[in-house]
Amino acid sequence: MANVTFPFPFPEHLSALLPEILVAVLAMALLIVDLFVPKERKALTGYLSLATILVAGVALMQVADGTSVTAFYGFFTLDPFAVFSKLLILAGTAIAIIMSLDYIRSEENVGEYFVLMLFAMLGMMLLVSANNFVTMYLGIELMALSIYVLVGYQRDTLRSNEAALKYFILGSLSSGMLLYGITFFYGVTSSLDFKQIGEALAAAPSSEHTAVLLGLVFIIAGLAFKVSMAPFHMWTPDAYEGAPTPITAFMSAAPKVAGFVVFVRIVADALPALEHETVMILSGMAVLTMAVGNLAAIAQRNIKRMLAYSTIGHVGFVTLGLIAGSGSGYAGMLVYLAIYLFMGMGAFAVIVLMRREGIQGELLDDFAGLAKVRPGYALAMGLLLFSLAGIPFLGGFWAKYAVFIAAVQAGHVYLVIYALLFSVVGAFYYIRVVKYMYFDEARVPFDFSENRLMQATVALTAMAVVVLGIYPDPLMELCRQAVIGIG
Amino acid sequence: MELHNVLDFPILSLSIFLPTLGALFIWLFVKGDEAVRWASLAVSVATFLVTLPLWIYFETGTSHMQFEEFHRWIPAFNINYQLGVDGISMPFILLTSLLTVICIISAWRCITERVKEYMLAFLVLETTLIGVFCALDAVLFYFFWEAMLIPMYLIIGVWGGKNRVYATIKFFLYTLAGSVLMLVALLAMYFKAGHTFSILAFMDYPFDFTWQFWIWIAFFIAFAVKVPMWPVHTWLPDAHTEAPTAGSVILAGILLKMGAYGFLRFSLPMLPDASQYFVPFVVVLSLIAVVYISLVAMMQKDMKRLIAYSSIAHMGFVTLGTFMFTQQAVEGALFGMISHGFVAAALFLCVGVLYDRLHTREIADYGGVVNVMPVFAAVMMVFCMANVALPGASAFVAEIMVLIGTFNPSDAAQAHLAVSAKWVAIIAATSVVLSACYTLWMYKRVIFGDLTKDTVKGMPDMNMREFGYFVPLILLVVWLGVYPLPVLDVMHASVAHLIEQATTTKLDAAAALATAAPMQELAVR
Repeated sequence: MANVTFPFPFPEHLSALLPEILVAVLAMALLIVDLFVPKERKALTGYLSLATILVAGVALMQVADGTSVTAFYGFFTLDPFAVFSKLLILAGTAIAIIMSLDYIRSEENVGEYFVLMLFAMLGMMLLVSANNFVTMYLGIELMALSIYVLVGYQRDTLRSNEAALKYFILGSLSSGMLLYGITFFYGVTSSLDFKQIGEALAAAPSSEHTAVLLGLVFIIAGLAFKVSMAPFHMWTPDAYEGAPTPITAFMSAAPKVAGFVVFVRIVADALPALEHETVMILSGMAVLTMAVGNLAAIAQRNIKRMLAYSTIGHVGFVTLGLIAGSGSGYAGMLVYLAIYLFMGMGAFAVIVLMRREGIQGELLDDFAGLAKVRPGYALAMGLLLFSLAGIPFLGGFWAKYAVFIAAVQAGHVYLVIYALLFSVVGAFYYIRVVKYMYFDEARVPFDFSENRLMQATVALTAMAVVVLGIYPDPLMELCRQAVIGIG
Repeated sequence: MELHNVLDFPILSLSIFLPTLGALFIWLFVKGDEAVRWASLAVSVATFLVTLPLWIYFETGTSHMQFEEFHRWIPAFNINYQLGVDGISMPFILLTSLLTVICIISAWRCITERVKEYMLAFLVLETTLIGVFCALDAVLFYFFWEAMLIPMYLIIGVWGGKNRVYATIKFFLYTLAGSVLMLVALLAMYFKAGHTFSILAFMDYPFDFTWQFWIWIAFFIAFAVKVPMWPVHTWLPDAHTEAPTAGSVILAGILLKMGAYGFLRFSLPMLPDASQYFVPFVVVLSLIAVVYISLVAMMQKDMKRLIAYSSIAHMGFVTLGTFMFTQQAVEGALFGMISHGFVAAALFLCVGVLYDRLHTREIADYGGVVNVMPVFAAVMMVFCMANVALPGASAFVAEIMVLIGTFNPSDAAQAHLAVSAKWVAIIAATSVVLSACYTLWMYKRVIFGDLTKDTVKGMPDMNMREFGYFVPLILLVVWLGVYPLPVLDVMHASVAHLIEQATTTKLDAAAALATAAPMQELAVR
């Protein structure tokens, strides 16, 4: 651990958790501070949340030194993999908070909104450091409970309430499944630690095989729900559509990073003995996920619903990296998730910016003629969409490239061919939005949010996909370094 | 950056990126439609001038890559920014830079909306097209090959005809679907050939037959869609018809050549045994393109559609020549591509001139145009005759070379054909008659006849600007038709090397490699 010196006695274990502790303390302090912030200046809470994230980021860079450290008797691990994914989570949360500053102004009780986002972020940070089922469950629940509330934040909107309820019920069910699966593993191996489970399973007698398989299925189902992998994706479109758009953006990026990271840890540490079964189940689910996500997206008229299905499609592609396994597969997943964070959130940011007659632009038709009215927004959105479609000179191409090459290396050529064909299907609904923006005439007058910070976010994400598209090497190298020692 | 060239200057990089840098400059600093037009013209002319030294300093005696550049790009996957040209790719770069200039001039008056975006799209497109012909790294090639879709999608979709949305989405998805399999093939080859994406390394690596077979199919789908070959040609008539004039010019002039270039750069030298194995397959598809598509062209009522089908038929000739593996046939195919680049581009420009006046492409809406536009009639006559491959026009040289080459195919090609290649040549030769039928019939209906329609009566003849961009095309078509030697000289050594690669089996080396050092195969699950 880096030599962080503290002016007071500080337990060795805690220094690895410094970022998490800071977030927890500052978030709770913010809850109190918010009481004294006048209603019309609630954005201040948002800016303070951004400051909290900045503090957490600085602390993270202080405690990260490229080594792998475990704390709390093996319940918490801080390795380059966790550090990199935490940075992604911090970035994703920060972008989502920036998007919220303007969006949420009309709502009441704004203060809690930002604090809930911080708690969700805390859950994810815990999740990516979990190398133990207990820590994992704590992280998942902290993240999920906060997001349930955020999804239903617009209390007066029927859609928002319905989405939150649906998400909550299905989410609880999946948590139950996850716990049930953990009990099987605990029963067989008498351990909750990923690595110990892995060793015990490798030595487990074949009479235990049924119990282990049952546990495997339940755990995969529970995790698949969290990253919206088909057939456990049902909640995604409704929750995405009903949630406030910044929360939709948040959900499409950060929790996916956290979910996949813990998925990688479980597959790599706890399940190597069951590699064959895991790959089989995941392959089936990946095939289904790519088909469901990309085909259903075509039928959507609401862009948030369309992007929800598109997220499912992308989850299918990321799963290929998980199936491929080994360093290159996991590195590919990180590349994908990092680039997706920018392009997915950038696209949602454009939606937040667009308002037509006071209503947020949510239908595909609302984009008609955007290129003539606001060429800048249209260009940014166009770049983000072509990137999501995976067309070169944009980052999305390298995201797909990184997971596909790992899958080919692992011998899953048929899966890659299948995935590429579905990426063509995916290209259709992305370029259809470009068609609305560039080829059609505007029908209703636009009315844009002119928040400078938001515009900067859109410009930065669009620039990020271009820069990553032309020179992806630093990111790829970073991801490769981050997964050394995993699996 | 490592440079290995006579100029000691990254001339290929400059050719590739000058248009995009110019586009960036125009985007940021140039205001007003007229200024944008002049600035774009300046950028495209500058690019053309930058590509000229490629021709002047080109060493004709060697098949080695020239003007090479090498820079590490993504070391994690051994992807390099590797550029170089030989006699096969160099002419296409000049063709691209010349046609882009002509495209920008031709759009001067007929594009009045979103002029800036239009010009930017064309300049970015030029970057991707030149990039495709320069790339010596397979991923770099794929990068430009796919990036081309974005500007082209916008060009057809924003400035196209009334059915443009359907046409452009069809074009985008068709070509994207075609090329994704190529990506899988490239990824598989990367591991097989020892973690490299170098095109030259792929040419040297001995793939065994099973590998060649499947990779050839993956490449074929990508290239056949681009050429396009029957039966995956259906995107082309739609895209051509709906694209603005300059879009059609670039489509016919350059984009179609990328597919055939792919065969010459990838399939033939990397996969010689599979290429020979598939000779009958390609020959049959090419003959269908030559004969059947010519008949289809005859029945078109829309001028642009007719020229689009004529392009498919001419590209059938090109693929036929490519897969005969003889010096004459392959050089004829290459020469045919360059000639077709000028002739088809000019014919689309002719239609564009008519369209600007009457805003219709229907043949039936014209008639007797010669009475009001004599200069135009003469110009169009030149290009119609060139399309028919009249002696003296560049297309004649190409067709006669392909026919001679087909009549005397290499042993490698003949061995795989069930009938004598002479019959193939005889069937292919019918194209000479058929192309005369559809081209001259169209010319007759549009240009000759009585001046009965009032709309046609009011058509002014070509102005200096319009005449201006036909002049270089006329000169080139006639010059190449009368004295093709300079271009053939450039190709000669490279084609000879290609023929040697395509007719030398890799199977012995593959078998030797398999016994000497059993490599860890990719277990395909």
